[in-house]
Amino acid sequence: MKDATTAFFEDLSQRGHDSRLDRATGTVRFDIVNGKRVDRWLVAVNKGDVAVSRGNRAADTVFRTDRAVFEQLVQGKTNPVVQMLLGTATLEGKPELLVPFRHLFTGKSAADPRSTAGYARRQK
Amino acid sequence: MSDGLVKILDGNTFVVSDDRGDIEASLTDPTGLFSYDTRFLSKWVLSLNGQRLNALSTDDLHYFETRFFLVPGTGTVYVDAKLSVIRQRAVGNGFTEELTILNHEDEAVQLTVRIDAASDFADLFEVKDALKKKGKYSARVEKGSLVLGYQRETYRRETTVSATTPAQIDENGLTFSVTVDPHGSWATELSVTAGLGLGEGLASGRNGGARRRRPSMEKNLERWLADAPRLECDWQPLKATYRRSLVDLAALRFSPRIAGGRSLPAAGLPWFMTMFGRDSIFTSLQALPFTPELAATTLLALGAWQGARVDDFRDEDPGRILHEMRYGEMTAFEERPHSPYYGCADATALYLILLDEYERWTGDRQLVRDLEPEARAALNWIDEYADLLGNGYVSYKRRNEKTGLENQCWKDSWDSISFRDGRLPGFPRATCELQGYAYDAKVRGARLARSVWRDAGLADELERQAADLKRRFNRDFWVEDGQYFALALDENGDQVDALASNNGHLLWSGIVDKSKAKAVVRHLMGPRLFSGWGVRTLAEGEARYNPIGYHVGTVWPFDCSFIAWGLRRYGFKDEAAQIAAGILDAAEFFDGRLPEAFGGYERKLTRYPVQYPTACSPQAWSTGAPLLFLRTMLGLEPVGDHLIIDPALPVGIGHLELLDIPGRWGRIDAFGRGRVDIDHKAGLRQQLGR
Repeated sequence: MKDATTAFFEDLSQRGHDSRLDRATGTVRFDIVNGKRVDRWLVAVNKGDVAVSRGNRAADTVFRTDRAVFEQLVQGKTNPVVQMLLGTATLEGKPELLVPFRHLFTGKSAADPRSTAGYARRQK
Repeated sequence: MSDGLVKILDGNTFVVSDDRGDIEASLTDPTGLFSYDTRFLSKWVLSLNGQRLNALSTDDLHYFETRFFLVPGTGTVYVDAKLSVIRQRAVGNGFTEELTILNHEDEAVQLTVRIDAASDFADLFEVKDALKKKGKYSARVEKGSLVLGYQRETYRRETTVSATTPAQIDENGLTFSVTVDPHGSWATELSVTAGLGLGEGLASGRNGGARRRRPSMEKNLERWLADAPRLECDWQPLKATYRRSLVDLAALRFSPRIAGGRSLPAAGLPWFMTMFGRDSIFTSLQALPFTPELAATTLLALGAWQGARVDDFRDEDPGRILHEMRYGEMTAFEERPHSPYYGCADATALYLILLDEYERWTGDRQLVRDLEPEARAALNWIDEYADLLGNGYVSYKRRNEKTGLENQCWKDSWDSISFRDGRLPGFPRATCELQGYAYDAKVRGARLARSVWRDAGLADELERQAADLKRRFNRDFWVEDGQYFALALDENGDQVDALASNNGHLLWSGIVDKSKAKAVVRHLMGPRLFSGWGVRTLAEGEARYNPIGYHVGTVWPFDCSFIAWGLRRYGFKDEAAQIAAGILDAAEFFDGRLPEAFGGYERKLTRYPVQYPTACSPQAWSTGAPLLFLRTMLGLEPVGDHLIIDPALPVGIGHLELLDIPGRWGRIDAFGRGRVDIDHKAGLRQQLGR
């Protein structure tokens, strides 16, 4: 079975556009440390249009953490601010580019209407 | 300052010391060097030849810089100073301190200059609540610096102390063995750096050492003051208060990096130097006619952090505007939910109110277009997440029962919402002002939907909802035998019937039926609520009334400023002027810096406003209060592309001019003339509102 990280980026790549990133334009590189290896995912966002690629290229924002933490993050089991305060994740460059990704770190796929900020009906 | 402490600050880094410049903090004492909610120095003590110094004077050069003049002391009254010591300190990423020693003798002197330094790395929450630490401390000498450290698992914070001249460094401080020539001087520059270990992270965009940044900070402050409207007035204290407000507001600006270098107001020193939804919004509203850019940044930053999901620990919902963001150790370990915490029931509606008011002043439609998704999400939150009882009212009940906030309205202390007889209601609680804000948010949302988003359907729907809310509210909250609005509805929908200042916020929101306004105003200006200085948070005579109770009897300048705005909205100009007069007169007792709150004692009884013991000062929305009073006294109201000016000045002010008010009209001047001649009695302090 695919890990949550790969699923997250593949899902994002397939969508091509995510309205939750409408406010963002720039490149964010996620450096995910996996033992001695670093997996690098580059997400180029242009007003919500998303292109995902792999590789070590310069980016406006670099978010770095280890694999276990990122797995938790994309599943909505932990919070990026907490990880940065703990020192288990670091952010360089423009933080404003990472902030909208909070809306994607919910552990739900985009097709699920409950994952869309502000338009969901709360489960009573 | 009134508490004998000297404070300098820049964004959320600040230093609080005694009048000698020394820091000797205990766990519960808010002195020290603080940055990002962590204390990086708890001890910073200067001595000469083993002797402590005495303060001659303190110069507050700027909000970020101060100068201490000291002499070696014997503790006696008579000071025969053969030496003078000057400490000039500027805050930045930590602080720098230029230490200068002057020898006034004909002979050279040998001195041992000692700085003792230590840090407890306390989280502000720990200082506030007196809690114990869980990690390990370290101190080491490294590359000519003293490095104080704290580590708990992966969480690390460091303080680095260094000097520009040679020093013997040990784990407890720095020692300089110096000879000062006859009539000569010796100087060094000490530098203290707060290491967050966040990389660039979420830390402030204002980087670089304090020393390098000082000229640009001075320029920035000058520009800030020059950009603000100019005030002319024949009542001198108001000019001083106005200037104090502008400078303090500059000091409280905070630049989270997500705001792209722009700043929004933090809530207040010492406890609340952080992004704070409600406080940032209220302060931005108060400052709109003066510094509208604060509102723009507040809207962008709070919009960026708008709730994204349902998270019980953080009381987060989609669309909800945050309550408070924190960066300390307890937040890191999720012992506190402030990463960020969303438990407030008013900021989301207030966000919409600010967005509309901002557009009415500035004409910046682009921002309103850009923030349409955030605004819609906020409107959605009011309907879908805030109505906990399904009765059509906004109410609150924390889902984080351990560390969440019980009262999620501005009166957030435990006993603030009570019945007349003192009983506390159960949860959820629907406080009355939340309904007012929700009403106003819908009315204003409708205006934006129609004029900017071009969605007439949404506008119609919001207007229909607003009208319905107003009708129900005036029926369900009206206390018939008291002729005022109940403080809240409890979990059964029954009226929580205490009389409180919240009635004034209802006028501000416009939810009050015209026919009921007069009765409400009679209460606000009557002896139970009006102290002579301002409106008490809770009326005298209620069981929980206490003139020095945080939200149950004190007078809050911010609260009064919105009440005055509400009075103007319903045409009660003289009453608005009377409240402005009381608070502005009180401001003079605090050298123009209004505290968060002061005692609710009768003005005739105390003759001066009694400061609430642990009140924050400066505090953003108290700092903003005089600004809003200027607006209400001059009757400034943007209508279309024009600014309506309809002054009503308090007795005691003969003329008031506010020049170069920025807005969609460019810049405009407002003039107000008093209706009553002032009797200038020689030797008597001229007071307002008597």
